[in-house]
Amino acid sequence: MDYKDKAAATIEVIENGPLKISGAINLTDQKRGIKTSVTELYLCRCGKSARKPYCDGSHKH
Amino acid sequence: MASASEYSEKNERSYKNEEITVYWKPSACIHASSCYRELIEVFDPGSRPWIDMKGAPVDSIIETVNLCPTEALTWKWNDEEKNREVSPGHTNHVKFRRPELYSVPAAQEEVKPLSVRIMPDGPVVVEGTFVLKTSTGDKLVKDCINSFCRCGHTKSPPYCDGDHRLKGFSD
Repeated sequence: MDYKDKAAATIEVIENGPLKISGAINLTDQKRGIKTSVTELYLCRCGKSARKPYCDGSHKH
Repeated sequence: MASASEYSEKNERSYKNEEITVYWKPSACIHASSCYRELIEVFDPGSRPWIDMKGAPVDSIIETVNLCPTEALTWKWNDEEKNREVSPGHTNHVKFRRPELYSVPAAQEEVKPLSVRIMPDGPVVVEGTFVLKTSTGDKLVKDCINSFCRCGHTKSPPYCDGDHRLKGFSD
């Protein structure tokens, strides 16, 4: 099987919530100088988080 | 050529012939005796070394190792390619019983991590193969580049439609 057929991660679009990514992830954020390997991420989708790029629960307010 | 004792940790041993390696972990043995009852030609507690890898055909050795109820006896092909194809029916293959001995984790080696890039004042760009879970179900997205909205203004969620620029999104 080619590696291209194997999922490295799962991306879950949480309704009215963040983007949950879990698996083998290489995260880069040029603006904040982040370059890291992680296994779980909750990314803000609403633009209101005070901890961007991460979700901080602000979408509920 | 048969050799013994190449692997040694807490009295653990490995026994090899041309095709397979059998691992012996004495601390896991519960003396169910299935090995020597089934194949005394290979597994003879009265002999030293007690496992003779030339005592029977490879198929018989594998079959007998698979009968061991614990991880005391496990096996693998010496040809790593063949190990990838071993099915769970082979209960005592190292990748099922003792993954710590299985040095070529095919799955990990073949998976390229998902690249997740946060674009300044823009979307998150995701590149690779992933399972996408949405309220309408799951789908496998193969080797693709997708950009997901981060600003909350897109008209086609969850994807970016470029509206962050019009709305002056700044993160």
